[in-house]
Amino acid sequence: MAEVVFGSKIMQLLIAFILVSTFMILGSTRLYSCVRAFGIQSFLLACVAGIVAYSTGKYDIYIVALLTLIIKSAVIPYIFIYIIREIKVKKEIELYVNISPSLIIGGTLVVISYYLIRSISIISELSSLALSASMSLVSIGLFIMISRKKALMQMLGILIMENGLFLGAISLTNGMPLLVELGIFFDVLIGVLIMGILIFRINKTFESIDTDLLKNLIG
Amino acid sequence: MIEYLLLAPVLTGILCFLTKSKKQVETVSLIGSIATLILGLILVKNVYQNNVVISWTNALFADAFSAFIVLIVSIVGFVASVYSIGYMGHEFKHGIMDFKKLKLYYILFHIFMFTMLLVGVTNNLGLWIAIEMTTLVSALLMILHTKKSSVEAAWKYMIICTVGITFALFGTILTYYGAVKVLGESGDALNWTSLIAVADQFDPTIMKLAFIFILIGYGTKAGLAPMHTWLPDAHSEAPTSVSALLSGVLLNCAMYGIIRFYTIATKSTGPAFTSNLLIIFGLLSIGIAVPFIILQEDYKRMLAYSSVEHMGIIALGIGFGGALGAFGAILHMFNHAMTKSLMFFGAGNVLLKHETKEIDKVSGIMKSMPTTGTLLLIGGLAITGSPPFGIFISEFTILSAGFFQGNIISSVLFLLFIIMIFAGFFYNLSKMIFGIPKSGIVPGEVSRWTLGAMVIVAVFVIVLGVYIPPFFYDMIMKVVAVIRVI
Repeated sequence: MAEVVFGSKIMQLLIAFILVSTFMILGSTRLYSCVRAFGIQSFLLACVAGIVAYSTGKYDIYIVALLTLIIKSAVIPYIFIYIIREIKVKKEIELYVNISPSLIIGGTLVVISYYLIRSISIISELSSLALSASMSLVSIGLFIMISRKKALMQMLGILIMENGLFLGAISLTNGMPLLVELGIFFDVLIGVLIMGILIFRINKTFESIDTDLLKNLIG
Repeated sequence: MIEYLLLAPVLTGILCFLTKSKKQVETVSLIGSIATLILGLILVKNVYQNNVVISWTNALFADAFSAFIVLIVSIVGFVASVYSIGYMGHEFKHGIMDFKKLKLYYILFHIFMFTMLLVGVTNNLGLWIAIEMTTLVSALLMILHTKKSSVEAAWKYMIICTVGITFALFGTILTYYGAVKVLGESGDALNWTSLIAVADQFDPTIMKLAFIFILIGYGTKAGLAPMHTWLPDAHSEAPTSVSALLSGVLLNCAMYGIIRFYTIATKSTGPAFTSNLLIIFGLLSIGIAVPFIILQEDYKRMLAYSSVEHMGIIALGIGFGGALGAFGAILHMFNHAMTKSLMFFGAGNVLLKHETKEIDKVSGIMKSMPTTGTLLLIGGLAITGSPPFGIFISEFTILSAGFFQGNIISSVLFLLFIIMIFAGFFYNLSKMIFGIPKSGIVPGEVSRWTLGAMVIVAVFVIVLGVYIPPFFYDMIMKVVAVIRVI
C-alpha cells in the first residue's frame, strides 16, 4: 500500500526532485524557465501517480496519472507560452522579494512544513515526506503569488498549490474517487483558460500585466 | 427528477446561444428561468413529502437542506432574469452593450444558475468542483463591462477565491482520508449520505484540521472576515443583476458547504471546537462591516459590506447552535437572499438613472422614482433588521439563541454591532432617498421589468416579517433536523 510505495527510494527521489523544481521557479526571473520548471514538476507528479498506480494495481490512478501528464505537463504550459507570446510580455519577472531572500524564505517554508506535519499525530501511518513536500508546495505557491508582480506568476502560484494538494491527496489516500479527480482536472483546466482570458483583458485595459496597477478598489 | 432541474438552465443557455435578436434571447431566457423555477419548486415539494430524493445512482441527492438552497437559487434566479430584461435592455438601448455581449450575458447567466443548483444537489464532497465552477463563470460575467475597475475586481475575485477554494480542497482531502479509514476506499466514501452515518467514528484530530481548512476555504467564498477582501470589489463591479445573485445566492451556496462540513466535523470533534470557530468568524465579519458601512461612499459597496455582515450573522446563528440558532440561521439565509436582491435591484435602478455609484451624488430618489424609492426604503428598513420585516425575526431568533445558550458576551457584541450598522446604513440610505433630486435627473422609472422584479421579492420581505406560512415553517424545521448536531 501507500506506505510501502512512499517509503521506497525511487519515490523519495521523485519527491525531492519535485521540491527542486519548485525552487527552480523560486530562483528564476525568466518567465519561460518558470513555466518549464512547472512542466517538469507536473511530469514528476505524473510519475508519482504512475508508480502509485502500478503498486496498487488500480486503473483509476493510471487514468489520473495520464491526465496529469497531458493536462498539467503539456496543455497548461502550452497555454502559458501562448499567452506570453500573444501579449508579448517582457520576459523578465519583476519581484517584490529578491531572488536570494526568496530562496531563503522558500527553504524556511519547507522546514516549517516538515515540522508541522511531524507534529500532527496522524502521521504515523503515512509518508510524512510526501505530505510535508505537499505542504511545502502549497506554502511556496502562496509565497510566489504574493511576491511576484506579473499576473501570470499568480496563476502559476495557484497551479503550484494545486500540484501540492494533488501530491497530498495521492500520498494520503491514493487519490480521491475518480469522479472527483476528473472534476478537479476539469476545473483546473477551465480555470487556467479563464484566467488566461482575464490576463488578456488586463493587458488590454491596463496595457500591462503588472498587478501593481490593480490597486484602485479599496475601502 | 433532479437531472431535469439541472438540465433546464443548461438547455436555456444553449438556446440563448442560438437566438438572433434581443427579443428572442430575452424570451428564451425568461421561459428558461420560469422552467427552472417550476422544476425547482417541484423538487422542493417532492423533498418536502419524501424527505430525500436521489437520482443518478446516488450522485445527485436532495434532502431538506439541498431543497432549501434550490428554492433560494431558483426564486432569486427567476427574479434576477426578469430584472435582467429591464437592466440589460437599458444598457443595450444606450449602447453600453451590443447584441453579442447581451447574448453572452444570458448564456453565462444560465450556466451560472446551473453551477449554483449543482452546489445544492451534489451528494458528494465533490461539492468543491461545483463551487469552483461558480467562481469561474461569475468572473466571466464580471468582465462583460470592460472598465478598468471591473477587470481589477474580476482578477482579485478569481485569484482570492481560487486560493481559498484550494484550501477547501485540502480540507476535503483530509475529510476523505478520515472517511477512508472508516468506510474503506470506495467511490461512496465522499457521499453525504454515507459520511453522516459514520461521522462520529472519524478521528477528531483529522476532522479538526479538515474543518479549519474548510472554514477558511469556503469562508473565503462566503465572504467571512478576514477573507472577505474580494467581496466588496466583486459585488459592486458586477452588473447589478449579477450582484443580486452573487450576494443573495452564491454566498449562501458557500455557506451551505460550510454548514454541511460543520455537521460532519461536529459529530466527530464535539460541538465546542467547531461552534466557537463559527462564532469567532461570525462576530469578526459583523464587526468588520461596521466601519465600512458607516464611512462608505459607494452605495453598491455598502450593500456588499452588508452582505459580509449578514453572512457573519448566519455563521453566528449556526455557531450558537441549538434548534433556535439553526432555525434562525436558515430563516436568515432566505430572508437575506430576498432582501439583498431587493436592495441590489433598487441600487441598479438608481445606477441606471444617475450613472454614478457615489452616495453623495444621489438624492431625492423618492421624488424622481417614487416606486423604486419606496421599495428601497422598505428594503433598507428590512436589511438593517427593523421590525416588522423578515430579517428582524431571524436576527431576533439568533440573538435569543445566543442568550439561551449562555453566549452572553457574543450576543451583546452582536447586538451592539447591528445597532451601529442600522444607524450607519440608514443614514447613508436616507441621504439618497430623501431630499431634492439632483439637477438633470428626469423623473420617471427606468423600466417596468426592473420594478416587477423588485415587487416580487418585496412581497417575500414583507410577508415573512408578519407571517411565516405553516408549510414554510415545516420546511425550515426539516432543514434544522438535517443540520442540527447539538
